[in-house]
Amino acid sequence: MRLVISNLRASVEGKEILHGVSLTVRSGEVHAVMGPNGSGKSTLASVLLGHPAYQSKGKIVLDKTNVAVLPTEERAKAGLFLAFQSPVAIPGVTVMNLLRSAYELQNQKKGAPKVPTVQNPVLARRFQVGGMSIGEFTDRVKRHAKTLNLSEDLLMRSIHEGFSGGEKKKIEMLQALILPAKFAIFDEIDTGLDVDALKAVSKGIETLRKQGVGVLIITHYQRILRYVKPDVVHILLEGKIVDRGEGKLARKIEQHGYSRYVK
Amino acid sequence: MKKASPMGGRYKYGFHKPERYVFKSKKGLDKDVVRQISEYKAEPVWMQERRLTAYTIFAKKPMPTWGADLATIDFDDIYYYIKPTQDKASRWEDLPIEIRDTYDKIGIPEAEKKFLAGVSAQYESEVVYKSIQDTLQKKGVIFLDMDSGLREHPDLVRQYFGTVIPAGDNKFAALNTCVWSGGSFVYIPKGVHVELPLQAYFRINAANMGQFERTLIIAEEGSYVHYVEGCTAPIYTTDSLHAAVVEIVVKKGARVRYTTIQNWSSNVYNLVTKRAKVEEEGTMEWVDGNLGSKVTMKYPSVYLMGRKARGEVLSIAYAGAKQHQDAGGKAIHYASETTSQIISKSISRSGGRTSYRGLVEVFPGAKRCKSKVVCDALILDVMSRSDTYPTMKINEHQTEIEHEATVSKIGDEQLFYLESRGVTKEMAQSMIVNGFIEPIVKELPLEYAVEMNRLIQLQMEGSVG
Repeated sequence: MRLVISNLRASVEGKEILHGVSLTVRSGEVHAVMGPNGSGKSTLASVLLGHPAYQSKGKIVLDKTNVAVLPTEERAKAGLFLAFQSPVAIPGVTVMNLLRSAYELQNQKKGAPKVPTVQNPVLARRFQVGGMSIGEFTDRVKRHAKTLNLSEDLLMRSIHEGFSGGEKKKIEMLQALILPAKFAIFDEIDTGLDVDALKAVSKGIETLRKQGVGVLIITHYQRILRYVKPDVVHILLEGKIVDRGEGKLARKIEQHGYSRYVK
Repeated sequence: MKKASPMGGRYKYGFHKPERYVFKSKKGLDKDVVRQISEYKAEPVWMQERRLTAYTIFAKKPMPTWGADLATIDFDDIYYYIKPTQDKASRWEDLPIEIRDTYDKIGIPEAEKKFLAGVSAQYESEVVYKSIQDTLQKKGVIFLDMDSGLREHPDLVRQYFGTVIPAGDNKFAALNTCVWSGGSFVYIPKGVHVELPLQAYFRINAANMGQFERTLIIAEEGSYVHYVEGCTAPIYTTDSLHAAVVEIVVKKGARVRYTTIQNWSSNVYNLVTKRAKVEEEGTMEWVDGNLGSKVTMKYPSVYLMGRKARGEVLSIAYAGAKQHQDAGGKAIHYASETTSQIISKSISRSGGRTSYRGLVEVFPGAKRCKSKVVCDALILDVMSRSDTYPTMKINEHQTEIEHEATVSKIGDEQLFYLESRGVTKEMAQSMIVNGFIEPIVKELPLEYAVEMNRLIQLQMEGSVG
């Protein structure tokens, strides 16, 4: 399966930020998009999921479907996942609640009858989340949380409310691991992480790669790329891909910075 | 029957049942109607006199000039008393089929079988069904409809009736005192803890009829009870009036929690006076959810009479199209070291209006009192409105007062975040709204919390603008 981004343009308030970005990620590949501040990296991440602040043109084809014309939630259901750089807090919506709702929604097959909302809490417990019992699902979430060194208490708290920077990134990674994404985009997943957290998150990315998920890591630094070896590195500068190459390109950037791409 | 569709025609509980009555007073109110009600119920003379005195007060008192618009209430176009069936049933099977059917639709039997300590469900003006667990009776707990309470425990009722909310308190308290019918009478003896909540379900089911239930709860020293009332009502095209009075006496060291979920249909005027007198070291907690009705005016109050008494008011108000929820709370500190907390969360959308109206008053001589007021409003679109009318009258220096108020909208980033997880915009909104009220919903009994979330979800459907 492939995620093909072709000639993607995006503007905000009339100002064009992405000037035609094209790249292709295959299932099980890890790609890195590197670039300095202001190069349009975060815009790329947001536009792939259809952030309403941007007007965009171009195609985002996921397994023959051009998801660029779909609303955000349909893109998610088609298999796109975005790990946010600075995710917002949603008071009263717990991590577990969100995971359960999202998992259920993303596993709904087209045209399949909707699971009725169960009002009786006793019956609700017997109900299934996307083919799993709620108990099994909860165990699975807890297992993944453990591999990320996330405390279980966090799962029952409002998502991202009062979370530390590292907790936020790990909670984003946890969602990537639980939800049935086909292509996952990580926007600056490595900023503000200590070495242990960085290792945990990198391990998560390796797990996704093994599961056949295509991964797009968007990053300023190549810090995370010491732990995750990308198959392809793309250099994004001023809204354009100016270079691409194998993993060693990232090391060159580390040594020389982006100066050689600047006219 | 023409149905209004204030919630996009999806109002789940908007059904009604054929009317079956054995007695109906004429429309409108005068002394003869008041006498007729009292005589029909074969009440003691003192109660009839109370009713007649209250009628005089009601007739004299002007309509309140503040709060919500009550101009369209026509007191002459209301039946003040309707008795639906011959006898009260004490077993489920004995209820008339259409009443059982109504309750089936709102899921009462299941709830009753599993959770309830005793169910007292009001159909029309009368409590027709109740079942009290033996354990309650053994502990000396009285849980009756108010009419039976008056018949079986006249001295207790006479001792407390109208002592917390006298007829002269306000026009609607006067109205209730003169035509009251139904409601609950609860008496918890000294030191008794009622572990399961006492629940009363009721609903209105006659066009043009008012509901004037009267509830009196007496919690003796060191006792505890949680009383829960929830109501859903069918939709009618003519205006309905609901003017209830709830009086609670919390004795020394006792604790009473009173939970209400109000979901009247959108033609109902819901004008309720609720007040608790709290003695030394007693605790009163009001948990109040107002979702339905056309107009609500309700400010559950705590009168903190004894040292270290504590009062809490937690309220949620939701106002959709053509609804005005004017709700809040009052905490009156008469004694030293008393504490109060009022937390109000309101949501308005589709042109709905919510108002927080609150009073915190500390009397001279009441030292070292503490009070905290938090009111948060969530406004879902530009057509909707939310106002805050807090009043503080502090007559003592050593008082700790906190007041916080926030007004917020649903953020685009929050919506985008949830949508990026496969959640539709509608559902994202309802998740955010449910999250907003979660601090109060978690105080509700489980089945009510589930129903509350579900009702919010129903209200949010089709709300995307």
